[in-house]
Amino acid sequence: MQKKLVLFFVCLLLTISFGAVSAQDETTINIAWPYQLPPSGHFNSFATDVINLGGNTYQDLMEPPLAVYMWGQGEYEGMLAESFGFDENNNYVVTLKEGITWSDGTPVTAEDVVTTFNTGYLIGMPVWAYIDSVEAVDDLTASFTMGAPSPLAEYRLLTTQIRPTSVYGDFAERAKPLIEAGAASGDAEFDALLTELTSFRPETYVSAGPYVMLPENVSAANVVLVKNEGGLNADIVNFDRVVAWNGETADVTPLVLDGQLWYATHGFPPATEQAFVDAGLDILRGPSYSGPALYLNHSVPPFDRPEVRQALAYAIDREQNGFVSLGESGIANECMCGFSDNLTELWLPEETLDTLNTYDYDPEQAAAILEGIGFTRGDDGVWMDDQGNRMAFELTFPSEFLDWAAAAENVTQQLNDFGFEITARGVQFQQHPQDIYDSNFQMAIRNWGTGSPFPGQSFLEPYNRYNGQGELAGEGVGGGMRFNPDVTYSGGELNVYDASIASGEGLDLEAQQALVDQLAVSFNELLPVIPLWERYGNNPLNREFLDAPAGDDPIYTNSGADHFMPYLIMTGGVAPAGS
Amino acid sequence: MATESPAVPSGPAAPSFPIARHAFRRFYTNYTARTVLQAIVTIWAVITFTFFLIRLMPGNPVEVYVDFLVNQQNMTYDEAYSRAASQFRFDPNVSLVTQYVEYMGQLLRGDLGLSITSSGTRVIDQIARFLPWTIFSVGLGLLISFTLGVILGTIMAYKRNTAIDHALSFLASVLSAVPNYIWGLFIILVLGVQLNLFSVGGLRGNYDPSLQPGFTLEFIGSVLKHAFLPVLIYVIGSIGGWMLNMRNSTVSTLGEDYVNVARARGLTSSRILLAYVGRNAALPMFTLLAINIGFIIGGSVIIEELFVYKGIGSFLFWSITQRDYTSMQGVFLIITISVVVSNLLADLLYSRLDPRVRVSGGK
Repeated sequence: MQKKLVLFFVCLLLTISFGAVSAQDETTINIAWPYQLPPSGHFNSFATDVINLGGNTYQDLMEPPLAVYMWGQGEYEGMLAESFGFDENNNYVVTLKEGITWSDGTPVTAEDVVTTFNTGYLIGMPVWAYIDSVEAVDDLTASFTMGAPSPLAEYRLLTTQIRPTSVYGDFAERAKPLIEAGAASGDAEFDALLTELTSFRPETYVSAGPYVMLPENVSAANVVLVKNEGGLNADIVNFDRVVAWNGETADVTPLVLDGQLWYATHGFPPATEQAFVDAGLDILRGPSYSGPALYLNHSVPPFDRPEVRQALAYAIDREQNGFVSLGESGIANECMCGFSDNLTELWLPEETLDTLNTYDYDPEQAAAILEGIGFTRGDDGVWMDDQGNRMAFELTFPSEFLDWAAAAENVTQQLNDFGFEITARGVQFQQHPQDIYDSNFQMAIRNWGTGSPFPGQSFLEPYNRYNGQGELAGEGVGGGMRFNPDVTYSGGELNVYDASIASGEGLDLEAQQALVDQLAVSFNELLPVIPLWERYGNNPLNREFLDAPAGDDPIYTNSGADHFMPYLIMTGGVAPAGS
Repeated sequence: MATESPAVPSGPAAPSFPIARHAFRRFYTNYTARTVLQAIVTIWAVITFTFFLIRLMPGNPVEVYVDFLVNQQNMTYDEAYSRAASQFRFDPNVSLVTQYVEYMGQLLRGDLGLSITSSGTRVIDQIARFLPWTIFSVGLGLLISFTLGVILGTIMAYKRNTAIDHALSFLASVLSAVPNYIWGLFIILVLGVQLNLFSVGGLRGNYDPSLQPGFTLEFIGSVLKHAFLPVLIYVIGSIGGWMLNMRNSTVSTLGEDYVNVARARGLTSSRILLAYVGRNAALPMFTLLAINIGFIIGGSVIIEELFVYKGIGSFLFWSITQRDYTSMQGVFLIITISVVVSNLLADLLYSRLDPRVRVSGGK
C-alpha cells in the first residue's frame, strides 16, 4: 500500500513536471498596452473603450489592415491584401490573399471589406471623405468607387483594419441605404443605427490575424492572445502567445525593470530611460514625426513680424533644448520647414533642401536682426521694440508633459539670457490646448507635425488646429494663434491652409510635391511657429529575451498606423532570444 | 382682557395648519428623523456641487477623445472631431441647467445613466463590477489596522514612558507621516524589482489570470494573495493613526476617577482593562472607525493604480482622465452616500451610547 502511494506521488510529480515543461515550451512575447476591463472594456472594435490593445498598434494582430506602409521605402506591403491599386477609372481595387480564415471558421472574403467600410461610415471613418462606395466584385476582390482619389486616400484605405461580416454584417447591410442617401449624424435613422452599433457587445473577438483574444484570457493584470491557426501569417509568427500587460507608463515601468515586460511602446522620462540602460536594456528610437514647437500669438506685437520670429529661432539652441528635455530622443529639428526631417528627402527636391535656413544657434545673428528693425536693449539688457515696449511675455506649457515642460523651462532660460523677459507658467494639460484654441496666450509650447507620411497633414496642425479650427470641441472664442494664412514669401503669394489641404488631393504626385515645396519654403522663411525638436521614441527592448532587428534598421522609421512592432511580430521579424 | 400668548420656542417658522404644525414640530424635535433629513439634504447638496464641479474641469469627453485620435490614430483635428462628436452621446453645447435637470430626473428614477465613453454600458454595472474589490481590500485593511492599532495603542498607554512606548510612538509617527503610496512605491521598486523578493507581474491584478472566478480554494487563495500587498499598504498607511489615537484615549481614561475607584476596590487589572478602561477608551475609536468606513471607497485611487488592482478607485481614475462625466458622477454618488451614511450611523450609534448628544429640540 505504501509503495502504491509512493508510486502515485511520483507519477503525480512527473505529470506536473511535464506540464510545466510543456508550458515552458510555449513561446511567449510580453508587450504592454492599457485597457479597461468589462463591462467598460468590450470586443466591439467600432466603439470606444474596446479592448484592442491600441487602435493603431496591436489591434493589427487580430484585425489586420489590408496593407502596411513602409515609411523607409515609401511603399506598401500587403497584409490581408494580395494586390491593390487604382484601375483605369481611378477607382481602387483590392484583391485579398486566399486561404485566410477568421477565428470563427469563416473565410476572409471581399464581403468583410465591404462590411468594414460600410459599418465604418457610421462612426465617421475619415476614408469616407475620399470614397463614394465599396462593393465586392468576387469572393476576394473589392472595388472602391473613389470620389476623391489621392495617395492620402489610398493610405487611409489600405491601413484600415478589416472586421468580420459574421459579427458586423447586419450593421453594414443596414448602413448601405444610409450611405446611398448620404445620411449623416443628426438624421434620426442614422443616429439610431449608430447608437445601436456603439452599444453592440459581441461576446468575443473574431480574429483574422495570427492571434485571437479570448474573453476568459482578459484579466486586470494582462491579456493573453493565443494563436489563431487559420489567421494571416499564423504559420510565420515566432510566438505561440502574446501577453499584453495592462498599464500606462508608470504602471509598466517596474515590469520592464523586472524583466517581465520585453518591449514597451510607452514614452519614458530620461531618468527612467537611464535606469533601463543601466539594467542592460536596448532603447529603440523611432521617429514620431512630431515634437514641441514654440507657438506665438500673432495678434500680440511684435510676434506678427517675421523678423522677430526668425531672431527667436536663432536665439534658441535647439540641440540643447532637445537634450535637456528628452536626452538622446530629443533631436533638434533641422529643416525648420513644418514637417519631419525624416520625410524631407521623399518630398523636397535637392535644391530646396540646400536653400532651407536651418537657423543654427547664433545669438549674435538674432541680435543683429532685432537691431535691424529698430529694437534696442534697455539699461538692464532687456530688449525693447521700436515703440519702446519691453519684450516681457508669458510662455505657457502643459505642466503634466514632462518633456514639454523641460523644453519650456529651457527656452525661457535661453531667451532670458538673450535679453527677453519670459515667465514660464504650467497649465493643466487638458486646459492648455483650449487656451491656445481660444487665443488666450502670448507664447506657448504645442506640437508641430503629426504621425503621417504626408506633409500636408503636418502643416494642418499649425495652420488649422491651432489657427482657428481647434475650438470645435470646446466652448472658446476660437482664433488660435491668429496667423494670417494668406502669406507672401520669396516664391510669391500662397494661402497656406488651402495649399495644405490641396497637397493631399489628386493623383498628380508631382503637383503635390510642388505644393509641399511651396509650403516648406514659406514656412522656413516666415516661421509661423518655431519647431524645437523631434520626439523620437525611447522604447525599452530586452534583448535577453527578444531577438529583434538592430536599432538602425529602417523598419523603426515606421510610425502611426504602421507601427513597427505589430509588423515585426506578424512577419516573424522578432523571435525568442537565441531561437 | 387680553391673554398672554404662551412662549413659543425659537426655531424655524411653523406651518399655519395645526395638524401640519404639530407633525412638523414632532419631526423637527425627533433626533433620528432630523439626522436622516440632514443626511438626505447633504447628499443632494454634494451631488449638485460635484455635478457642476466636474463640468468646470478643463476638457470634456469629446476633447479628450479628439486628442487621442489626433495623437494615437494620426487623424487631422477636423477628422477626429467629426468622429468623436458622432460617437459620443454627449453634446458639450447643451446648457448645464438642462443637463442637471435631466440627471436629477434620472437619479430620482434610480437610474445612474449610461457611460459616455463606453457607449451603451450602464454606470451601475460598472460600479457593481469594481466596487466589491475595493470594499474587500480597503475594508480588510481598515479592519486589520484598526484592530492592531487599538491593541498596540492600549499597550503603549499601559507602558507609557517606557522604551516600548517610545519605540511604538516613534514607529506610529513615522507610519502616519509617510503617505501610503510612498510605501507602495517602496515595496514595488525596492522589495520587488531591486531585491526580487516577489514577482512584480505575478501579484498584479485582482487574481491569477489563469484562474476562472469561482468558489474554489485555489481562486480564493489567489484573491487573498493578490490583495495582500494593497491590504498591507492600507494597514501600514493607517495603523499609526489608530495607535496614537488609542494611546491618547487610553491614557486619558486611565486618569479618570472611576478607574481609580475600581483599583481601590481591588478589581483585577484585566477586569479594569476590559470593563472600565478598554470600553471607554475605545468609544471615540468606534466613531472614527465609522467615519473611516465611509472613506473606504474614495481612499484607494493611487494604491489600486500602483498595483493594477481593478477596484472603484482605479475605475474613478480612468473615468476622470477620460472625462466620463456620468461614470464619475456615479462613483462620486456612491462615495457621498457611503460617507454620509457612515456618519449618520456613527451619529445614531453614538446617540444610543451617549444620550447627552441627543440634546436639542426638547429632547
